[in-house]
Amino acid sequence: MAPTSSKRVKNTKLTRHFLIGNEAHLLPHPGYPDPPPENHTKGWKVYVRPLPNGPDITTWLKKVQFKLHHTYNDASRTIEAPGPFEVQETGYGEFGVEIRLYFAPESGEKAVYREHYLVLAPYGSEEQKARQERENLIVAERLETVEFNEPTVDFFKTLTSEDQFNWLKVKKGRGKGKKPEFVFEGDVEPSAQLPEKAAADTGGLGSGGAWSVLYERQVVAQLREAEKVLDASLDEERRGMEERRRRMEELGMAVAAK
Amino acid sequence: MDIDPAPGPEPAQPQPRSTALPREAPRPQPKRFKKTSIRSRGRSARWISRESAAATGRADNLQFRRWRPAPTTGTDSTDSPIPDKFARYNVKPEVPVYDNETYEKHLIHQEWTKEETDHLVEIYRECNGKWPVITDHYSFADGPNRSMEDLKSRFYSVSAAILQLNTPITSMTAPEYTLYETLSNFNPKQEASRKQLAEGHLYRKQNEVDEESVLLSELQRIMLSQATIDTEREELRRRLDYPHANTNGYQYTTSQALTQLWQQLLAADRMKKNQRLRPTGYDGFPTATPISARPRDSNAGLPDSATMPGRRGTRDSLPSAASQNALPVDLSKADLQRFGVVQNQDKLPGGVTFASDKLSKPRIAKSTIQTDKIATILQHAGVPELIPLPTPAVVEQFDSIMSKVHALLDMRKLKDKEEQELKVREAEAGQ
Repeated sequence: MAPTSSKRVKNTKLTRHFLIGNEAHLLPHPGYPDPPPENHTKGWKVYVRPLPNGPDITTWLKKVQFKLHHTYNDASRTIEAPGPFEVQETGYGEFGVEIRLYFAPESGEKAVYREHYLVLAPYGSEEQKARQERENLIVAERLETVEFNEPTVDFFKTLTSEDQFNWLKVKKGRGKGKKPEFVFEGDVEPSAQLPEKAAADTGGLGSGGAWSVLYERQVVAQLREAEKVLDASLDEERRGMEERRRRMEELGMAVAAK
Repeated sequence: MDIDPAPGPEPAQPQPRSTALPREAPRPQPKRFKKTSIRSRGRSARWISRESAAATGRADNLQFRRWRPAPTTGTDSTDSPIPDKFARYNVKPEVPVYDNETYEKHLIHQEWTKEETDHLVEIYRECNGKWPVITDHYSFADGPNRSMEDLKSRFYSVSAAILQLNTPITSMTAPEYTLYETLSNFNPKQEASRKQLAEGHLYRKQNEVDEESVLLSELQRIMLSQATIDTEREELRRRLDYPHANTNGYQYTTSQALTQLWQQLLAADRMKKNQRLRPTGYDGFPTATPISARPRDSNAGLPDSATMPGRRGTRDSLPSAASQNALPVDLSKADLQRFGVVQNQDKLPGGVTFASDKLSKPRIAKSTIQTDKIATILQHAGVPELIPLPTPAVVEQFDSIMSKVHALLDMRKLKDKEEQELKVREAEAGQ
């Protein structure tokens, strides 16, 4: 039995959504060293998080390595499971953070790199900027979907076990002897898919609560609008082409008649 | 022939006896013919002088005397007049002859009076029918300035009329008829322009000649490749006219509609000769006997993901996929969804992939210019640079957008080429 070739589940892939992003605050801010070091105007935190209603991220993600700018001491910060995969620092400049994701050994996959650009200044529309300044909270976050293609059998089993949702559940049940029951308390049914709508109480962007099917619909609608614009352009081009074809025929006749 | 060596004193030129006198050039020595080289063979020729024949076709009655070698045979008497060797060159041109009556009847022309016409005919005869000479000599005091073409056209029309009068058309012989045709088809304007063109050709400069040859070669190249260019264009047009789906895929989002669709497809498949779909236990129709031989729980081919929308979440009422593909863990449909298991995908890339790549990779093209073009089109359409939510639905939408972007780029490229071609053709047609 070769240790490296475990059976893979054909024609299947496992998807997991997770969030990559950063928060930034203008110092001084609770939670950050006070007084801030020389020249550092912003405190920030870069993180890799699961969806708030999703399965435990540590089932497949064992270690994350954040590579910060070389001017930082210990530019390479490694966080292992289970701890929240976050790095908190102070600074003044924006840069790209290289994030290396190490998967669970059952998966048999190599580590991959993703990049995240650390955003420290307010961005977006005027309204968004105003709100960011008011709350002193800048969040730049995106949803990333990792797809495990043809996973190994072991990995598949891990990722389809109900235990993944234990972290969301509250232990209930009798004490010693009995196995504790896990009951889910909360608004949103745990699932690896996006929740139907943004969770109301878990707050705004920072905790990932804004990612929902509702938002997905908005994005899709926006893209569909864009597609309509493209359709209009295509029609225009097509009309131009017809016009030119007609003109070419005319000219062809004119030339032949000469 | 050698110059005989002269006797002594001469070659040694005397030293200048006095500087005043010019030194004598060496005198040419007389050539002394050797008597052996020329020997008169017989007697020398005899020449006799004779009078010409009087008035041998010459208008001026010239008489002259000429020397000519005496005829050796002696048959001709020594006194015969000299035949005029050049008499046969004394050709006179044929001129149309008409009298006043004929003129009044057939030859009246608006711009030509009778006198002028007569004068023209006369000059023609005198100048022997050579038009440049005629044009030179022609000077009619009362008439307007006539170009050579004018004179020619008048003369030819007169000749043609006379010819026709003398021999009616039906009885003209072939050469006469061709002559008649040529005379009547004389087009002065055309002749004038033709001569002008020839003159222009004669006097054009070298660089114009070069330019012309370059343009001609260019034209030839275009003509040769015209056929291939046309076929290429047709192909591109066909490709760009991609077929549009008539129906909307989104009408199948409810589970009811999906089951209906599934049953429709199954029924349709059963009608066909070679069935593609194998039944499962769930379709609710009695299965025909030939099919029952197959194992019931084998892979019921689910409809292609192409006929279904990308929403994998609403598969609940479909025949269960749980018993297929030898999943190590049996899962219900709901669980599959909860755990994010996606099945029946072919062509999976190995290893780990990220969905957000599907939203960013297509924007990058091989060259930076192309990438920029794509970026401007997307920006113009309102697609944000960073799409933070790469779910399957979004990815699918983005794919269709990208295909339209590519189509647009192709059309623009085609447009440039066509405009160029149009300009060329317009220039051609305008000439």
